[in-house]
Amino acid sequence: MEDKYITVSQLSRYLKFKFDQDVNLNHVFLKGEIFNFKAHTRGHYYFTIKDESSRINAVMFYSQASKLSFLPEDGMKIMVAGRISIYEATGGYQIYVEEMVQDGVGNLYLEYEKLKKKLASEGLFDPSKKKKIPKFPETIGIITAPTGAAIKDILSTIKRRWPITKTILFPSLVQGASAAPEIVKQIQNAQKYPLDLLIVGRGGGSIEDLWCFNDEQVARAIYECDIPIISAVGHEIDYTIADFVADLRAPTPTGAAEMAVPNQKDFYTYIHQVNLRLEKAMMHYIQNNRERLETLKNSYILKNPLSIYQIKEQKFDTLYEKLYLVMNSILINERNKLEEKIDKSKNWMERYLEKSKNQYLYILNKLEVLNPILTLKRGYSITKKQDDIITSIQKIKKEDLVTIDLVDGSFTANVEEIIKK
Amino acid sequence: MANKEKELTFEENLEKLEMIVKNLESGNIPLDDAIKNFNEATLLAKKCDEKLKNAEEQVNKIVNKDGTLEEFNVED
Repeated sequence: MEDKYITVSQLSRYLKFKFDQDVNLNHVFLKGEIFNFKAHTRGHYYFTIKDESSRINAVMFYSQASKLSFLPEDGMKIMVAGRISIYEATGGYQIYVEEMVQDGVGNLYLEYEKLKKKLASEGLFDPSKKKKIPKFPETIGIITAPTGAAIKDILSTIKRRWPITKTILFPSLVQGASAAPEIVKQIQNAQKYPLDLLIVGRGGGSIEDLWCFNDEQVARAIYECDIPIISAVGHEIDYTIADFVADLRAPTPTGAAEMAVPNQKDFYTYIHQVNLRLEKAMMHYIQNNRERLETLKNSYILKNPLSIYQIKEQKFDTLYEKLYLVMNSILINERNKLEEKIDKSKNWMERYLEKSKNQYLYILNKLEVLNPILTLKRGYSITKKQDDIITSIQKIKKEDLVTIDLVDGSFTANVEEIIKK
Repeated sequence: MANKEKELTFEENLEKLEMIVKNLESGNIPLDDAIKNFNEATLLAKKCDEKLKNAEEQVNKIVNKDGTLEEFNVED
């Protein structure tokens, strides 16, 4: 009899075996609403999925839960994929969730991923295509709903930070089926106005609410717009396609306004600094130039104007000295040459004189030989007839008075006889 | 604003201002030019400052469906 009874564990194990065997239960796609959501500190999610009349416990382990791009919460409509099994400890069956998307956006999400890939491959998100956001936009266009928090936040932020910026609102629906075409139309419309910047966005909302900012036409309109665009879709966690295409992405409309205009406080600080810098630079200039002036004023020349002449005079002296030296050397040179010449001529003269003297002596000698006085000394005499020297008997006749010169005197005589030889 | 033609934008004014200040800080310009630049820069800084301080009530407009512009005020 007792063999009929089995333990709870045995039953649970059996049921678990049955469940795990069932192919259908291994691949269940389930939709419902989250209830009693609890995120365990270790990262696993425990919750209940319910509809109007039924509920089922659900567990999503960290390995899968960590892949979710959103945080599940109570009341969220979801679609999950997973397997059904028994949790032996409680005997309850539950779904082990492997994938979860938010209901209604499940298909949208796929679309989003597809579109994102496509536009990325076309280069619409290319950082090099981003236009520069002007620092001081004079006029900003805003594309959003004319009512609601978004426009209010943008305008009040701009007014607070940079009140001289003008704004033009291009009202548009920002949710629902007609939102996307309206946004596109207004982006195109805005380009007819002299705008420095365009803010396109809306406040926070559910994923469906924001969906117009994942529209392909909106993305292309943003890409083709020649005005820089800041996207401002109030959804902090996820990026919309518009965020990827826009030149700059702001997490909220207020954030967009803050990025769009400078803060006047910063500006006043800047102007103050500029003035300080200017003064400092100018002081520096004045100081520098004053120093230069002082240096010049104290320069030797200006302090001793006469020194200009002194310098010239000194120069003159130097030149004069040089000239003197040169002249002197020329003179010395000439003198030397002259002396040399004189020496030469003196030598020559001496030699000439010597020669002359010798000649003279020689002649004198000769003359002495011829000197009649010497002949007279030897006893010869000279017989003259009226101063004519008688050298032949032809020149005299008998009775002629002749004078006979001897060496120490003379005497007269009469010719008595002429004897011919 | 429309009565003055070709007035420099705020940004252009600021860029000019920054350029002059940097130029002055470099100390590479003759004194006469420096004084001229200093005066110009002071004026520019004042102009920018006043432009912001004397900002009239913020001008917000809305484009109507027919394309006309109209004053726009957010209701509180």
